[in-house]
Parts: sequence; structure tokens; C-alpha cells
Amino acid sequence: MTASPSASSPVQRAPGPAPAANAVIAVDDMRRTFTTGRRRRRRTIEAVRGITFTVARGERLAFIGPNGAGKSTSIKMLTGLLRPSAGSVRVLGLEPWSQRRALSRRIGTLFGQRSLLWPELPARTSLATLGAIHGLDRPGLGRRITELGELLEATELLDRPVRTLSLGQRMRCELAAALLHRPDLLFLDEPTIGLDLLAKQRFREVLVRLNTEHSTTVFLTSHDVADIEHVAERAVIVNHGTVIHDSPVASLRRTLLTTKRIEVGLARAQTVADVRAALGPDIGPVMALGDRPADDGMPVDGIAIGVDTRRQAIGAVLDRVLRHLAVADVSVADPPLEAVIGEIYTRPAATAPAVVQSLRDGPS
Amino acid sequence: MTAPTTTDGRPNPTRGLGAIWFQVAHSAASSARLQPAALVHTGVHYLIVAVAITTLWTRAADGHSGTIVGYRAGALVWYLAATEVTAIAPPLRLIDRFGADVASGRFELELLRPAPALWVRVAAEIGTSLPRTAVCATVGAGLALVIGGAPETPVALVLVGPALLLGVALTIVAQHLLAAATFWLLDSRTSWFLYQKLQFTLGGLVLPLEVLPGSLGRIARLTPFAAMSYAPGRLASGHLEPGWLLAQVAWLAVLGLVTARVFAAGERHLGDGGAS
Repeated sequence: MTASPSASSPVQRAPGPAPAANAVIAVDDMRRTFTTGRRRRRRTIEAVRGITFTVARGERLAFIGPNGAGKSTSIKMLTGLLRPSAGSVRVLGLEPWSQRRALSRRIGTLFGQRSLLWPELPARTSLATLGAIHGLDRPGLGRRITELGELLEATELLDRPVRTLSLGQRMRCELAAALLHRPDLLFLDEPTIGLDLLAKQRFREVLVRLNTEHSTTVFLTSHDVADIEHVAERAVIVNHGTVIHDSPVASLRRTLLTTKRIEVGLARAQTVADVRAALGPDIGPVMALGDRPADDGMPVDGIAIGVDTRRQAIGAVLDRVLRHLAVADVSVADPPLEAVIGEIYTRPAATAPAVVQSLRDGPS
Repeated sequence: MTAPTTTDGRPNPTRGLGAIWFQVAHSAASSARLQPAALVHTGVHYLIVAVAITTLWTRAADGHSGTIVGYRAGALVWYLAATEVTAIAPPLRLIDRFGADVASGRFELELLRPAPALWVRVAAEIGTSLPRTAVCATVGAGLALVIGGAPETPVALVLVGPALLLGVALTIVAQHLLAAATFWLLDSRTSWFLYQKLQFTLGGLVLPLEVLPGSLGRIARLTPFAAMSYAPGRLASGHLEPGWLLAQVAWLAVLGLVTARVFAAGERHLGDGGAS
């Protein structure tokens, strides 16, 4: 994978760009503006402000960002529903906007909040109709529905009216609809929204299996960090209409981690204020462990210290803890991925490129 | 990627739109057997409306020496039995439903398919209407035989079947044309209201167009609404006028073409960031 540099938005790249010939999606400086109002009240909104990235065949990519970041607009442009205002977009070698129908033969789409199926009909009838629309012949279609029923463990669901299925069951049938024509590229927009824990887990496993067994490229957007962790190999984070981060998911924590948490079990109970005084005024936030919300002046037997690794080396803080406190136990933890991504989301638009630029140079 | 073939379940890009159209219509029509209660409901709905209107008009005819604007009471029953099929057999509130689909974004998903969304929608609606048309026509024929007696010109009745199918198809296409306003307007309910009134009056739905005064009746005959409802009614009432079938086909071609153009413009409008 790669994301080529853009003067307007320097973005951290994962090493080793994918060869252009291997690119399933190639987006270069994609932009989209919307005009609202009339005459003097006319306003132009830049929903997407120059997005550049490529996706290699067989990759599993999470395209994430907060609400209003430009994700949905980008997906609409990638699938051909929306015409870009500027820039170049190629998906499977096609220009989505002008070759939407040709593209639709080779992509599958699944939108968690919108259904491809007819609620009153059994899923099998819906799939047969969709298969007809895709030009599948009857024997081939029948085999394909059977195959998908087995793959998605949905065989017994196919003959029930869609409206009688639970959300998890319906989503398996929706995925069958998206896969019916054996797409090379699967766009998934919030595919696990509303599903329970087990259904989500099963859904993610199917996506990974599809990718590994059939090399189906997966383009996923989700607000569920577990989807990103368990399905995607790479995350492209967008905010304010631009790509602000692009790296393998595995390295997200490592490269973006600017805070750590030291948890200390105290051999002798102390108040939080005493701990702060012992560690010095430049120490990070100190709080009591457990469910005690604030420093209530009572002695505690465990504390947590937040460390900004850009300001202080973790070893120096640990050294101070060991020297000044009676330590029974100590551990250092990373914040959850959710917190890392949440931290990126909250960066203001103007600082995003600069922050990303500094990360490209490596963590301090 | 190489061109897909049908043998491995891949889509066949060479498969014609006609084949896709018929398969979608067939799937939609076949699905009716899964909902027998809905068909019974349609038949009962039709029966209630048809009985009410035919009773009204036969009473009125009785008060005018058994004939109204050239139609004898029995012919009027056959007329009304046919026109009501074109009103009740097509799926109801199509314009409203389309508006809701555009607003919710469901219609956008239909654009991510290899066949034109309008083409597929019309095929599905016509397919859904076929069993409903058969039920209504059967109930209508029984009702007309019981209340109106044998048809005046049985040979004209042969043309009623195709006229009903064409009338229903025209109704569906015309409703899509009006529904296309949703691409630009947020609320399509006015289109539905307008459509109903036009079909009611210019289509001769509950009264033959001969009842309309002077040139209004002549103008109404030239509109697609007359081809939708009046045409099958006229044939069912014993008038052997096969020209109406040609008029229906012509209107279907014209409206189909116009609707396709308007939809293409609407889809471009969506793609430029409009409406939904």
C-alpha cells in the first residue's frame, strides 16, 4: 500500500508503496465541494479537500474518521455515486463516476444502515432477483446462493422473510447479497452497527476469511475500533476532508502513542496529594486506582500516573516512582486503540498536518 | 481481471437488459404466491370498490331509461369493472414509496447495480402487479357477469386482457415519471395527489369520458390517462376499437422514453450532490 505525498497534507506513510499496477484503488488529490443556498447566501463547503491514497489488491483497509470527516462523501466518489469536483479516482482501473455500471459488476457494497433486500420476501428470493440484475444465469445463481449460505452459516435463514430475521441474521444475508457476483472489492460502511458481540465477531471472521481465501479487497469504514483491529491491516484516517494518518493498524499504537499509564500498587497507603508532592510538580496526572473518581483526601493503596512520552521519558518517571514511593507492584500500559484514534480525531484541522509530519520523523 | 463467465456464477456482462427485465419481473410475480393474504386483500379491496361504483352507475342508468352517454347499464358495469383494475392492481403509493427511498438513500444503492435502476424498478413493479391484475380481472369479470350480464361484444373482450396489462404498465411508468420530481423536490406527495386526480378525471376511472363536457372529453382521450384506464374500459364495454391498443403502446413508448430521460437527469443531479 501507499499514499503518495501531497503538498497540502503531509501524511505519515507505511513503508513500501504498492506498485501502481497492483492498485485496486488509486486516488489522487480527490476533492469534493458542495454549494448550498442561493445568491448572496450561497456557500461552498469543502467536504473532501485533496485525498490521496492507493489500495493494493487483497488489502484490508479501514477508512476511518469522525462524523463529518468526509468518509461518506469519499465512499460515494469511490463507488461512482458522486462525481469528484477535482482529482483523479480509479477503482479497479475504472473511473467510478463515468463507468459506474461496469464498476458495479466488480464491487460489492454493504451499508449497515441500508438494506439491499426486500423485507417482505425470503432472502433467497431477494438474492435471486439481485442475481438476475447482475446477469447471473439460473444454475450458476442457485449454486452461488447455496455456497454463500454455507459460507455465512445462513442456509436456514434464506427461506425466511427478511423482516422476520434478527439484525445479525439479516446482515449475513446482506453480505450474501453483496458477495453474490463474486466482487473483487468489497465496500463496507458500518457493517457491524447494531450487532451484538457474537454477531460482530462472526461477521469479522467471515470478512477476514473472504479476504484470505478469495483475495477479496476489503474497504471498511466503521466507528467500532474492534472492527478495525480485527479486520483491517491498514488504517487511513481522515478528518476535515483530508487524510491525516495512513499506516498499518499494528503500528498505530506504536507510532501515535504519546501517552502511557503507570499503575502503582503502594506498599503503604498514601493520599494522592502526598504522592504528587513526593513525585514533584512536573509529574503527569495522578489519580487513585479503582473506582474512586477524585482525590478525596483519603489514603489509597494504588495510583495511576499518566505520562506524556513527548515530554518525559517513561524510564525517568519510573525511576522517580521507585525512588520516592513504597512500591508493592508496578505496571506500564498503553492506552486502548480507541483512545489513540480518539486523540487523533480531536486534533484541530490546522494542526493535523503538522502533527502528522512530526510523527513521520519518528516519535520523540 | 478477465471477463466473467456464467459457468462459475460470475455475472455475464453480455446478458441483455431484456433478459434481466423479464427475470426481475418474473421473480417479483413469483413472490406473490408467498403472500396469498395480500392477494386476497387486493381482491376484496377491488370487489368493495367495484360493487360500490357499479351499483351507483347502474342506479343512475336505471333513472335514464337504462342508458347513460351511450352506455347501457350492463356495458357500464363491464366498463367500470375494467377501469378499476387499472387503479387497484398497480402497487399503491408508488410515488410516496419512491420519495422515501430517495430520501433514505436506498435508491442510491440501486444505482450500484449493473442494470438501470428505473428499468429494474419498473420490472419489479409490473411483476408485482401481474398477479394482482389477474385477481382483480377475475373478480371483475365475475362481478360484471353477475351484475351486468353477458358482454355485448364478446370478441372485444379478447382485447381487454392486453389492454389491462398495457394500462397497468402505463400507470406504473407514469407514476415513476411523477415520482422523479423527488430528485429535485424534498416532498413528492403533491405529485401523488396530482396523479390521482388526473387519472380519476382524464382517465375516465369512475365515469366514461363521454360524460365530460364538449372538448374536455376529446382532449382527455388524447392524454396518456385515457390510454391507462379508459381504453380497457371502452373495450370491455363492447366497443371493438383495437386502435386503443396501439395508442397504449405508443404512450408506453413515449412515457418510457421521457421517464428514462428524467431519471437520467435525476441521477446526474444526485451525483452532483443534489437532493439526498
